Amino acid sequence: MITWDEIDVDYELPSLTKGPITQLQLIKYAGASGDFNQIHTVPDYAKEAGLDGTIVHGMLVMGILGQMITSFAEPKMIKKYSAGFKSITRPGDTLVAKGIVKKKYEKDGEKLIDCRVYVEDSAGDLKVDGKVTIAF
Amino acid sequence: MLDMSYLGKEFPEFIFEVDRSKIKELCLAIGDENPIFLNKEEAQKAGYKDTPASLTFPTLMNFWGYPEIWNRMTEMGIDIKKLLHAKEEYEYFSPIYPGDVITGKVKVDSMRASSAMDMVTFKSIYSRDGEEVLIAKMTIVVPKGENA
Repeated sequence: MITWDEIDVDYELPSLTKGPITQLQLIKYAGASGDFNQIHTVPDYAKEAGLDGTIVHGMLVMGILGQMITSFAEPKMIKKYSAGFKSITRPGDTLVAKGIVKKKYEKDGEKLIDCRVYVEDSAGDLKVDGKVTIAF
Repeated sequence: MLDMSYLGKEFPEFIFEVDRSKIKELCLAIGDENPIFLNKEEAQKAGYKDTPASLTFPTLMNFWGYPEIWNRMTEMGIDIKKLLHAKEEYEYFSPIYPGDVITGKVKVDSMRASSAMDMVTFKSIYSRDGEEVLIAKMTIVVPKGENA
């Protein structure tokens, strides 16, 4: 994999395209994660909650973004990972996970980068906006 | 109405035993087929003791380890049907492996109520053999009034 020395600010992490997200995937994700909020799995419940239909777990989108991150860097290199949920994702949406290096620095003997990582749908709407700190 | 007396409250500790099949199940639900998470031999070739948990595994420990969180939220005055997940933050200190016996403790880290929304952050500290392996923070919001 690429070394810390070879990376500069504005380096773009290889993007990852996933989808379209299916209702079946939401059912699998509910079981795997234990998040059984029915706005993700039961259309009638989602409508009662004022939605047009079921919506994708934000954490599934963060998981997809995590897949992009650990395709780029080893899991044990990840120090911090956070994500803010910006807009609703629906079944049928195709997602693109991206990342860009914002800061390169050394701290306590470690060589680090901070990246902005984010997920957009195929129309370019921002779904999740996050940050990851990676140690080399 | 948020019951602000919950601010700073710690909920009872819980134990979560990490199962290889749950590590795999989460990855497959995401569609992440990275062999490090799925195959012990591949993980060991990459220098891991076993298949490590993937980055968003802590959400699984929260929901499976402490499903009571939904009742706690209702008791706190959070309208579960209207809640939105605003932010999730992880700090990793050591990889989590199959067979690990993890102690989790959830605390109400911050609470804010305004005319537009309620916002609550839960902080979960996960330890193994008395050492912290991971800190997770989950922030939820409940829109109110015209935003609801």
